Amino acid sequence: MTAINLNESSVRELNEKLQSGSSGDQFSVNNTVGKHALSVGLTSEINVEINGHVGYYCAGMNQQANIVINGNAGPGLAENMMSGEVRVTGNASQYAAATAHGGLLIIEGDASSRCGISMKGVNIVVGGNIGHMSAFMAQSGCLVVCGDAGDALGDSVYEAKIYVRGEVKSLGTDCIEKEMRDEHKKELKELLKQSNMNHKVEDFRRYGSARKLYNFDIDQVDEY
Amino acid sequence: MTGTHALGHTRMATESAITTEHSHPFSTGQDLCLVHNGSLSNHNRLRETLKRAGVQFKTDNDSEVAAGYLSWRLSEGDDLDEALNHAIEDLDGFYTFAIGTKDGFAVMRDPIGCKPAIMAETDDWAAMSSEYRAIATLPGAENARIWEPEPTQIYSWKRS
Repeated sequence: MTAINLNESSVRELNEKLQSGSSGDQFSVNNTVGKHALSVGLTSEINVEINGHVGYYCAGMNQQANIVINGNAGPGLAENMMSGEVRVTGNASQYAAATAHGGLLIIEGDASSRCGISMKGVNIVVGGNIGHMSAFMAQSGCLVVCGDAGDALGDSVYEAKIYVRGEVKSLGTDCIEKEMRDEHKKELKELLKQSNMNHKVEDFRRYGSARKLYNFDIDQVDEY
Repeated sequence: MTGTHALGHTRMATESAITTEHSHPFSTGQDLCLVHNGSLSNHNRLRETLKRAGVQFKTDNDSEVAAGYLSWRLSEGDDLDEALNHAIEDLDGFYTFAIGTKDGFAVMRDPIGCKPAIMAETDDWAAMSSEYRAIATLPGAENARIWEPEPTQIYSWKRS
């Protein structure tokens, strides 16, 4: 285990050290005091434990690394994550996992507005509630919400799947409730297990695209 | 140095010139000052309306219009919460406001809530910032209650 103290090391030194880590390496990061862009651009299968609250854009562009944040995270958590796993024990601010292509983001507390905006394959599991405009234009992947969802959930959603256990304040344009088929139950069960969320699959509802907003018709191919 | 309110900010100017006069906080009335993160789109027309109601402005800055608007509402008999509720109706644009009065402090975000904000409270103080770093160094911050303010919800404190 390599310990990095941000009272002594700069954020750039931290990221350089983490980015040059080898598979299986363990790191702990202390004295974060809300600093920005911690643990970004990692590309190998290392384990990073961050103790304390983090600022903007933590764990951005993550590939393969397993990152645990013991605290809250500011805006832009795990933005454009490609793979690996990011877990936050507290709450996360706006647009967590925006545009993320893969991997798993677990937020044990609440997520703020625009969670999973334009997500492109990431799986997100939120233990608490999510804010307004979440999963806006979400293209693929799953957003699992164990609490309630705010206004305009899944506005202009493409093929991402949204599972909500609690209340949905309102659905966005072209987002509808959909049937929970066996394949969805299986997928949700697996995600709840991976994220250590102890809830019953039967308590969730599924939401997704009505496909009326982005209907591409092959007869119109010459129009473009 | 003694006092009840403290303020620190860096201005990234988008709506008016970078001068001392255009810097926050804006004060258009007795014992009211305002800091604004965002930009207002209907400030020109609203400024003219407020001028006719007797509010005086020193600059062409949009944030000063928000301060002037609140001063005017307070002079019309609103308390701070009521003035802010009216602001949601009358101000167009995006904003996170921190407002200080002689004995109070309030925070409000617009309905879209895209400007970042974080709040913290202990038995001794209440604070708002656009990022946790500014709060982290306050005494007792590690044990403070920390949350992100909800859009259009008014958070206000009054000294007893």
